[in-house]
Amino acid sequence: MNKVLNTAFFWRLSLLAVLAIVIINCTSEKYKESTDETLNITGYLENNTEQYSMFLEILETTNYSTFMNTYGTYTLFLPTNQAVQNYLNEEGFSSISDIPIEDLEDLAKLHVLEERIETTSFNDGKISTPSMQGQYLITGAVNIDGSSNITVNKDARITTSNIEVGNGIIHVIDKVLKVANKTLAKMIDNNESLSIFATALKETGWYEVLDKPLTYDNDSIPSYLTVIAQSDEVFSQNGINSYTELEDTYSHLNNPTNPKDSLNLFVAYRIIPGLNYLADLVGTSTVLTKAPLEVIGIKLKRDSIVLNEETFNGVFEEGVAIKRDASDITASNGAIHFVDDNFFIKKRFPSPVYFDPADQPEFRQLSAVFRKPGNYASLNSSELSEINYEGSYDLTYASPPIGDRTGRGWHGDVLELVRFRTGVTNNLEFTTPVIIKGQYKVWVSYRASDRQPRVKAFFNGQELPRIANFSEYGNTELPERVLESQGYKRHIYPYDNAFYSRLMGIINVETTGRHKFMLQSTEYAGYNTWLDVIEFRPVDMDQLYPKFESGGDGLIYESDIN
Amino acid sequence: MRIKITHTILVIFALLTFSCDDYLDLRPQDGTVRQDFWKTKEDIKAAVIGIYSSMLNSPPSVSDRTLAEYLFMYGELRGDMIAPGPNVIDEQTDVITSNILPSNSITSWATFYRIINYCNTVIDLAPAVLEEDPTLTQEQLDNYLAEALTIRAYMYFTLARSFKDVPLKLEATLSDEDNFQLPVTPQQQIFEQVKIDLEKAESLATEDYGNIPENKGRITKHAINAIQTDVYLWTGEYQNALEAADKVINSGNYSLIVATNNWFNTVYARGNSSESIFEFQYTPQNLNPFYNIFLQRPQFLAAPSVLEDVFGVDYDDPENKDIRGERAAMVPGTNEIYKYTGLNENERKALQNSDTHWFVYRYAGVLLLKAEVLNQLGRGAEALEIIEEIREAREAIQATSQNVNPDNKNAVTDYILAERSRELAFEGKRWFDILRNARRNEYERLDILIAVAINSAPPSQQQSIVNKLQDPNSHYLPINEYELYTNKELTQNPFYN
Repeated sequence: MNKVLNTAFFWRLSLLAVLAIVIINCTSEKYKESTDETLNITGYLENNTEQYSMFLEILETTNYSTFMNTYGTYTLFLPTNQAVQNYLNEEGFSSISDIPIEDLEDLAKLHVLEERIETTSFNDGKISTPSMQGQYLITGAVNIDGSSNITVNKDARITTSNIEVGNGIIHVIDKVLKVANKTLAKMIDNNESLSIFATALKETGWYEVLDKPLTYDNDSIPSYLTVIAQSDEVFSQNGINSYTELEDTYSHLNNPTNPKDSLNLFVAYRIIPGLNYLADLVGTSTVLTKAPLEVIGIKLKRDSIVLNEETFNGVFEEGVAIKRDASDITASNGAIHFVDDNFFIKKRFPSPVYFDPADQPEFRQLSAVFRKPGNYASLNSSELSEINYEGSYDLTYASPPIGDRTGRGWHGDVLELVRFRTGVTNNLEFTTPVIIKGQYKVWVSYRASDRQPRVKAFFNGQELPRIANFSEYGNTELPERVLESQGYKRHIYPYDNAFYSRLMGIINVETTGRHKFMLQSTEYAGYNTWLDVIEFRPVDMDQLYPKFESGGDGLIYESDIN
Repeated sequence: MRIKITHTILVIFALLTFSCDDYLDLRPQDGTVRQDFWKTKEDIKAAVIGIYSSMLNSPPSVSDRTLAEYLFMYGELRGDMIAPGPNVIDEQTDVITSNILPSNSITSWATFYRIINYCNTVIDLAPAVLEEDPTLTQEQLDNYLAEALTIRAYMYFTLARSFKDVPLKLEATLSDEDNFQLPVTPQQQIFEQVKIDLEKAESLATEDYGNIPENKGRITKHAINAIQTDVYLWTGEYQNALEAADKVINSGNYSLIVATNNWFNTVYARGNSSESIFEFQYTPQNLNPFYNIFLQRPQFLAAPSVLEDVFGVDYDDPENKDIRGERAAMVPGTNEIYKYTGLNENERKALQNSDTHWFVYRYAGVLLLKAEVLNQLGRGAEALEIIEEIREAREAIQATSQNVNPDNKNAVTDYILAERSRELAFEGKRWFDILRNARRNEYERLDILIAVAINSAPPSQQQSIVNKLQDPNSHYLPINEYELYTNKELTQNPFYN
């Protein structure tokens, strides 16, 4: 028995051994023992010393090579040895160790961003993340002898881009980036072609403002400024050949330091708060200036940027172009651009704006629908460039058939909301047409019906005092001047009491330009809501006339009726 | 006992060795090996039909985009008629804004070379079947070869227009020992090869398969002539281009369909009309990829300027409209691309019926190519006549008509380009039209390309884009980094270094 067991045991054992050998043979695999062999930034430089040893030396001298070898997400603009050598020659240093250590630190930090940025997210202006030195780098592209490259700070060309390393990304550049260490004021002062403008800065006291180093306020917003400079040549084209002539032309109080003096305003109007490269400017339609509440209108016209080009009351006003090639100059506390003609604050008086909320560019394109009775079209928020709202329902452009009461508003059309309430459509925000600065009364008119909400209005986020009840039908009995004093009016002619207009309050439009006007429903709505006209009438203007032609495009003046 | 154990061990060993053996069998489980194939004419036919079906959709084993999607993206993204839709991916936006990196997957040419390899296989192996199968006639073989040669030529033509210099492989890849390490061949030589292949194919091809779907869905002599017109325009051989175009036009097989309410349905939704020369034959069993990318999860929209600037809007009379615009190419307001999803003016197709074809060449396109040729030959007046003929057939509106001096070559070119943008909107032609006209005579008309960029670039990137486009190398796509990694002989387009 014992023997049998032993034999069986022996066999089993050998069987196991054989199996084990067979199985091990089948699964022999080689495991990689390291997890990652990707080089970090410093490692990459060490492996490519024939090209990048000098920048590596800069990193080592400044003791930055260690952190550039640690985990993180960096972007390095890496100058080649040739680039660093050219820099040394230009600056008159014989070796890297000759450069003062603080300057070298700044220089090294200027080449590093603390975020991984591929060239695909570059635009014509600044990179969204500042360099570790604090200054922003600007990007662009240039074509030299037929071949194009992406550039950094205007003249350093990227020769190899988007090299992936373990802790970030490297772009190789053919020139060392330089720290801008002069202020706006100094740069303008040092530029011989800007002598008149520089003198004007000094005489008006703005020189000191532009000469202040960069500071950060309590919200750590930097004190960058952008200057639109004007060369002596441009001045002389406009008949101004010296500072004295400039002062004679503009200074009406004979005291340029007085902020109310026109010359002071002339200068202040050329200073824009914030760091605005041209790519930033083309993204906005207006910018505020240091001249109190005065704005500059900006328009991209094909490939040129023009300032203050607008059509006001049907009159086209030609703008002033920016000199693109010369502009985008970086100073330690801001950026400088140049214009090719003289410009100044436009004096304008408040004029009424009759804003038809149904007149949206996307609806206007639908020529078969727009203002053609009996037609409707629906678009959603993402398709309408000048309306924003909460809710996923479409807005409808409605031009009801002739005879339909809803078609008796101005132009015979209305903007229709399925339900004006939270959950369907609410916080309906319009971009208004250009409104000139001044005080205005705001009237909202609607097509009344039952089960309509009460509606609040907001101008640039500020709530207007009155509330409109959209289920209120027009009063046809009271004299219209009495009604007006109560904040109502019968705004269309001939009148239909399904349409009614409500005074929402008085607004102070501080800057000339396009603004945000929002309507908010405060309660439940059980039926469609229709908007006709939103009027912005200067406070000193007649608030009743002209009225709007019911079902037509005309304006009806008091004299037309009597 | 011992015997029993010995037997058990034997059985286990046998099992182990058998199961280990499976992977040694090299026969594919989902196909036929070459030794068993290429015996009969049916085998050739199956292989040729396989080429066509690989153009419609990728085989199940790979997951890349379909050829039609690449043709759309290569032909439209860099033009000025497309805007990113809500479901666009970053890589597509980067192509639209000329921010293309070699890592961008849209630059993968795998689909093209897969189809080229299918063509090469037919060209290499089909002739031997003549000896195996006595029922195969020389004419049948010639026809099949013509189809493979033409499709290969069209693939290379598209690659050379998109990437400039690309590797030229003319033999089938049949085993792992084949040399995959191929350097790029200059664009000009690729064009030369394309011309040779097309000429040979023309002499071998048939004019008529006996039924309409095959005449429009397979390569005919006239489809070859249409491609030849295009190729000769790229290489600047205008007399040859004119001859090729005239072969198509004088064949009498094609005509413009009059503008009625059915026009869109006939030409696009149903396809294979008398305007069609060669189309990808999607069917309800083999759906096109467009329903998803244009309607359900739109990656692309028509650019906002297209309705007004391309087709024109008559604000006074909404009934007066170009039949190619509203509810044909696009939907006004939403700017949805409608050409591939619409059924008629009012309804869209249902998902399960989304079979609108991809239009490789249409008659009107060839007419406009001929206009371009005539203009280059100094016969501007005849070119303008062709434009007028098409405009009349399409009820083009006054707002888009141009009063052009026939002797002003540049002005006629601009008018032809504008008409092509209306006629061939979203058919994968726009960028190639711009590039072909811009690069003619050593980039004499680079201004066309720059103007397009200025109008369509995002304002904050406009200057960079314009400066990049000054470099002709930037007009072509980079070689994808995966290809560079696997094929060390390749050299990247210098713009992308």
